[in-house]
Amino acid sequence: MEILQALINGLLIGGVYAVVSIGLTLVFGVMSIINFAQAEFLMLGMFVAFFCWQYLGLDPLLGSLVAFAVVFVLGTFVQRILIERVLHAPEVAQIFLTVGLLIVLENAALIAFGSEFRSVRVPYQTWAVEFGGLIVGVPYLLAFTISLIAGASLWAFMRFTWIGQAMRATAQDPTAALSLGINAKLIRRIAFGLGVGMTALGGAVILPYFTASPTVGGQFVVLMFTAVVLGGLGNVLGAVIGGLTVGVIQTLSTLVLPIQLQNLVLFVVFILVLALRPEGLLRQK
Amino acid sequence: MKRTPTAKASVDSGRRGLLAAAGAVTAATAMPSLASAQPKAVNVGVILPLSGANAQFGINSRNGIELVAEEINAAGGIKSLGGAKINLIVADGTSTPTTAANVAQRLITQNQCVAILGAFASSLTIAISEVTERRGIPLLTMSFADQITGRGFKNVFQVVSKASVIGRAQFDDAVAIAQAAGEKIERAAIMYEDTAYGTAQAKGLRAAAAEAGVELVMDDAYPLGITDVTPLISKLRGSGAQMVFPVSYLNDSLLLIRTMRQQRIDIPAVGGAAGYVIPDFVKGLGEYSEDILSISPASHDLAPELTDRFRAKYGYFMVHEALEHAVCMGVLAEAMEIAASAEPGKVRETLRSQRFDKGWSTAMTGAVRFDETGLNTLAKPVMVQWQKGELVTVWPKDLAKAPARWKNRTI
Repeated sequence: MEILQALINGLLIGGVYAVVSIGLTLVFGVMSIINFAQAEFLMLGMFVAFFCWQYLGLDPLLGSLVAFAVVFVLGTFVQRILIERVLHAPEVAQIFLTVGLLIVLENAALIAFGSEFRSVRVPYQTWAVEFGGLIVGVPYLLAFTISLIAGASLWAFMRFTWIGQAMRATAQDPTAALSLGINAKLIRRIAFGLGVGMTALGGAVILPYFTASPTVGGQFVVLMFTAVVLGGLGNVLGAVIGGLTVGVIQTLSTLVLPIQLQNLVLFVVFILVLALRPEGLLRQK
Repeated sequence: MKRTPTAKASVDSGRRGLLAAAGAVTAATAMPSLASAQPKAVNVGVILPLSGANAQFGINSRNGIELVAEEINAAGGIKSLGGAKINLIVADGTSTPTTAANVAQRLITQNQCVAILGAFASSLTIAISEVTERRGIPLLTMSFADQITGRGFKNVFQVVSKASVIGRAQFDDAVAIAQAAGEKIERAAIMYEDTAYGTAQAKGLRAAAAEAGVELVMDDAYPLGITDVTPLISKLRGSGAQMVFPVSYLNDSLLLIRTMRQQRIDIPAVGGAAGYVIPDFVKGLGEYSEDILSISPASHDLAPELTDRFRAKYGYFMVHEALEHAVCMGVLAEAMEIAASAEPGKVRETLRSQRFDKGWSTAMTGAVRFDETGLNTLAKPVMVQWQKGELVTVWPKDLAKAPARWKNRTI
């Protein structure tokens, strides 16, 4: 029973890790660039949803759509103005740019929003559903559900729309895609916007159980990278499985070890995967 | 081209020298009459974390100190010094002890501060105290750490109780309240964030539990940036504890209480100050903050006539760090008034030998008296409780402003 409860908790929190990580892996898949600033877009998403709640009374779960839209637009500009310039630059330049972006975003948020923690208040924050002795927190359940819907929508978008197919084509072979009349620059802007938008959405849906602050990204960045590498960099389905795995490992480890060590267990697994299956849990053909 | 600037410079310095000499003469003759009309302001250094993770607490503290200084100046300054005004020199101690120590050095040598107030975080205060001890400048603080007054320093003054005393009071007062409600506590749980603050306070809790013969059925540390406390709360649910002592900052305190409510755990929670006694706690939890207890080194409702001025000016109740820093400022001003001097050595001797019971010195427990280590012997932690969205002192009984509530019953 205890194991089942931990498993459920792990999957619920892992679902959010998954949607947050999809963004990171999408950007890498389309552009082969690792965006170290990705977690800062999660922070921005949290703040957009928070202000929607504070000034418009919008529930953070609905606010997540606004967060997605705002950060999507911001992302297309970041791609056009900054990322596009380093696409063919040495990796060091790419790392410098995205790490620099991380520092700028975090400190700009500190100046604009102040350093205090901000928390929303919604009625279902303290609700739980109970069945057969298992307790499932409603905010976790809702965050998981929205993440699931968002993930599925992205999948459908990539699979069935022309833009989605063009995006996958650009990822596979930019030159060939270009020769087929695909505007690769535009596709990359959309891809980057979608990537950071998904992460922002993930930030917004956790607002009912997590406080927003300018430095919140730091708490997610390592989890995100772990999830993405576990599933195989650039693989969207891999990010989903990686995210769920991270959540489950975190909660299952607390059954036998102190909660302080939950991330230790996670990183031991991470290192083992890197050593034994460096291509990730899912082998990409 | 090259010669001209040099020549000009020498002319300039000559002219400046002359001017300075003339100025000095004028000043010297004018001085006596000027001094009686406008006494020299007394510089007081204030070092607080105004940036970084503790900035909010630093700003609250600064508000408290500024309020008191403004009031004293408006009432005519330090009377025994001919109405000298207090001139605060506020500096950011950041979150790094080395920076805080450098700032202290600068305040003493460049600004001739008579005393220093600060610095909220114990790690910063300890670093500053080494500088002030060397220079013989009084340092007044509200940091809790035991070692602040535990090192035989002569120039440090701690207006609040030590961390170990506060941890012990958190436990003992809670057990006493339970007893008054007719419940005997046999099993309790503690959970704490694993940085210096949580760890130190958990130590006090553990010692008090051992002494009271209460079994700790759960004693868990958790990382400060925790994202999901469900495992902790599941464990708490299975532990059979009659009450829980969480020691947390804000984010984790909100998570813990919400998750407890989700899992319908209604055993009393007794927080360890920090996250549990600030306006953001009730803002984040609303009605779910109701009846939650916390220990606090001081409480605003014990001196409403003073602390209401803070609320009027800043729009929120006078949180304990603001209150205790205000007391630091009040005691310092009163000491200078008694000593009729702004000389650090004389102020220190007055601080060590006198009892302070006027103005803001009374805001905590009516008076302040330091022992030979510099610890305020009259300080006493109190138990506070959220009742109808307000933080109210409920224990010990002789200080209580309202009866405590235990499991939906007023006792």
